[in-house]
Amino acid sequence: MRMKRPDTLTRAWLYLLVLSALGTVAAAAISGGYDARIAGVIVLLLALMKARIILSRYLGLASAPSWRRGFNLSLSFFMLAALGLYLIPAL
Amino acid sequence: MTGQTETSILDELPGDLLLWVLIISELLVFGAGLGVFLSVRLTDPAGFAEAQQHLDRVGAALNTVVLISSGYLAARALQLRQAARRRAARLALVGAAALGAVFLVIKGAEYARKAAAGITYDTHPFFMFYYLLTGFHAAHVVAGVILLLVVAWRDTPDNIEMGAQFWHMVDLVWVLLFPIVYLLA
Repeated sequence: MRMKRPDTLTRAWLYLLVLSALGTVAAAAISGGYDARIAGVIVLLLALMKARIILSRYLGLASAPSWRRGFNLSLSFFMLAALGLYLIPAL
Repeated sequence: MTGQTETSILDELPGDLLLWVLIISELLVFGAGLGVFLSVRLTDPAGFAEAQQHLDRVGAALNTVVLISSGYLAARALQLRQAARRRAARLALVGAAALGAVFLVIKGAEYARKAAAGITYDTHPFFMFYYLLTGFHAAHVVAGVILLLVVAWRDTPDNIEMGAQFWHMVDLVWVLLFPIVYLLA
């Protein structure tokens, strides 16, 4: 018997759960003494991926590609700025 | 005259335009708050890292799962209502609101533990931002829970779409706030 493939919305939710779990693992790595710069990059990258999924699938921007591009670009710039501010003390 | 109607790029946006204005405004406000938080951290990175150790990362991670699951139910409610399954849509909205309440209970317990430990907004600049950003977000969660219950009652597809949009904005802000305040040591 073949299992039915989850729909787009359910897949988005499952991706968000997986990304959240990975983010928590990365945070535990920071607490455990792993290189905070690398773990920080991973944490922010995972957050960006989650934000993109929420915008596309929960907020429906998948059907408005030009808006989705604009939001994704703005969020990417914000995350880059956050990463820069986070990494400055480590330089 | 060609008889064709001109379409604006604004017509592409799903849902209500005013809600998108609100979403962008809220993202700018929280984005500015997080930017200032990270900028002030530059003046005392060791103090910020030490203060952050007092936060409940497990509770906050659990709250992330709670919010994204609540957002899933809100998005599903709209699909159900558009498919004329009103009862199922209402149940999904009530479920989303209930998960929002769970978020607030976990957040309240976190605040209570801080208060019991004598940690207040003036303990360290980190905690001033922590209370300001998470408190302002929690206020949005309260508003969102009320809104979800209102649209479960007045359940036209347009109302549900607006309620769900607001809720996803709350979800989106948390997804950005959580790693910066709780995880980046």
